[in-house]
Amino acid sequence: MKKVLSYFFLFLLVSCAEEQNFDQFDDLSVVPTLATGIFYFESPEDVINQLPPGSFYNQTFTFEAFNEAFVSERVLDGAITYQLENTTSKELNLLVEFLDAMDNVLDSESFRMQPQPSPLFEREVAYGNGDRSLDILRNTIRIRVTSENLGDNTSESSANEPRVILRSSAVFRVRLQ
Amino acid sequence: MIKIRLVLFTMLFSVAYLGAQNKQLLYDFYEIPQSLLINPGVKTPYKWHAGIPAISGIAVQAGTSGITVNDLFANDGIDFTDKVRDKVVNGLSQRDEFGGSLQLDILNIGFRNANRPEDYYSFGVYGELSVTQYWPKDLAILAFEGNANNLNRRFSLSHLTTFGEGLSVFHFGINRKVSDKLRLGARGKIYSSIFEAKSKSNSGYFVTTQGQNNLLRNTLVADVQLQTSGLNEIVENEDSNESIGSLLARRALLGGNLGLGFDVGFTYQLNEKTSITGSLLDVGFINHTKDVKNFTLEGTASNEGIEIILPESFEDLNSDIWENLIDDIEAQVPFETNSDSYITLRPIKLNASIRYNFGEQKQKTEDCYCGINVVENNSPFDYKNAVGGHLFIINKPKGPQAALTAFYQTRIGNALALKATYTADKFTFTNIGLGLNFQAGPVNFYILGDNLLGYRNIPDSNYASLQFGFNIISWNSN
Repeated sequence: MKKVLSYFFLFLLVSCAEEQNFDQFDDLSVVPTLATGIFYFESPEDVINQLPPGSFYNQTFTFEAFNEAFVSERVLDGAITYQLENTTSKELNLLVEFLDAMDNVLDSESFRMQPQPSPLFEREVAYGNGDRSLDILRNTIRIRVTSENLGDNTSESSANEPRVILRSSAVFRVRLQ
Repeated sequence: MIKIRLVLFTMLFSVAYLGAQNKQLLYDFYEIPQSLLINPGVKTPYKWHAGIPAISGIAVQAGTSGITVNDLFANDGIDFTDKVRDKVVNGLSQRDEFGGSLQLDILNIGFRNANRPEDYYSFGVYGELSVTQYWPKDLAILAFEGNANNLNRRFSLSHLTTFGEGLSVFHFGINRKVSDKLRLGARGKIYSSIFEAKSKSNSGYFVTTQGQNNLLRNTLVADVQLQTSGLNEIVENEDSNESIGSLLARRALLGGNLGLGFDVGFTYQLNEKTSITGSLLDVGFINHTKDVKNFTLEGTASNEGIEIILPESFEDLNSDIWENLIDDIEAQVPFETNSDSYITLRPIKLNASIRYNFGEQKQKTEDCYCGINVVENNSPFDYKNAVGGHLFIINKPKGPQAALTAFYQTRIGNALALKATYTADKFTFTNIGLGLNFQAGPVNFYILGDNLLGYRNIPDSNYASLQFGFNIISWNSN
């Protein structure tokens, strides 16, 4: 009986364990790539024609997505994609400016678009990894959009529902671990 | 300080956590009085028994399905992130789980009715901690890969399923030998919940698609709920005059959220050597009305970023369109709390077994009152060897879970009984267990260990359980 008991406890208590290295957890790298739309601007040609040539829209709005601690403290690199479409009869200029808390311009993108017919235009602006500084995005809390009509306010495009459209999206890698 | 307490609490909770609560080694091992807790209709060859308080039954189980500690932390030179990606994020499914339980028998007493000796009564109190966490596969992929390279993929919120609780159970059972062939048992229970947290039956998804206007659209459809009771006062205990220890003790002693339930069971002798048994445990509920705090996220929202569409947006020149966007999303998918009471059904467990006894039995004698050497002089057991099978089913948050066991049981002399089991379940197909019951005079000691092959390399084991305890038993002729 003693033997039986001995074997039993031996089995339970004298066990083996392959070498484990729990420090490996520190090597875990969790870096998802996140994507989201940023802003969308659209103006029909008839709205542009109702205003005198020159600036027809100027708006500064809060944009704290990049400034949120979750993003600003973890972002590694990223890119903003702009896509423009102009089917109006006018030459237009769109200016996008990134502003800090003091309204200082940290970065800007200017898009000059020829009258219709003009091709769909796309531009990707990279941040981090030797491209533009990530601090631009980290400190951006406002975006200013300025739209300017460089042509007249009488001509009309032959396109169906002529308008100018600016689309934008951001793709960023953030380090969760 | 509160953080330290919380960490300790969480650690205790976590350690106490895993498992399917299958007790195949203890089931029908009727030399051990605690077998009455998993079949109130088991054979009861005792005049009386008394568990030694707090150590009459301690059962700890832990299990993971789909992965082991060794899979991740073996010192194998493979990049850890690659291992996590391959074996966890992509390797586990939403049905894989990490879970466990701790059961502590605080008081366990039984006695035979002197006027009606076919009845055996038992009562007591035990505490139980258990946690089940299912792997939230889609959300893990979202966290690991992000949404940028997963356009049009719906990340399901239904993968969010978790359950954890601590409670004490006050019970009283009657075991009756109805005839030479049939023995029935029932046990009433009062549950006193100390704390509970559960999130199940969630639905919804998060998806990123091409936008209707803008380049991308993010959509969240959510119907997610986390129900808790008893946790809020623990978390905010710092401001209370009552210590956490006192709070938990009060709740354990019928001061928590209360519930009712019952167990039933039977043993039926098919013939002289063959018997079948069955039990249905924890048919009951707990009504959570005290210290309830529920969290909900419900609604639908789609977002393509800030939209400026002229001429309508001329009206927004003086408004905060960013804040409006945030407010809209929060209104569409509000994250809210409430203190609505709720009812939790207990996880019902079903046991069934068939058993065949063989080998030369010891000659029984009539009742005696021979005290300490009762076992030596009068064996109340009806077998020398036994083989059989056992089926266990438990109702878990994602549906029933089953385990199938084959067992061999033998008695060596009058003092020692051994039981060996082979079990196949969700956690492992190589679960070999060994149980030992040792009787020294009136003192009974048992120890039951599961998945012994896993002890060859514990970190590589999917499942482990250990039960042991001490009782004082006065035997009856069966």
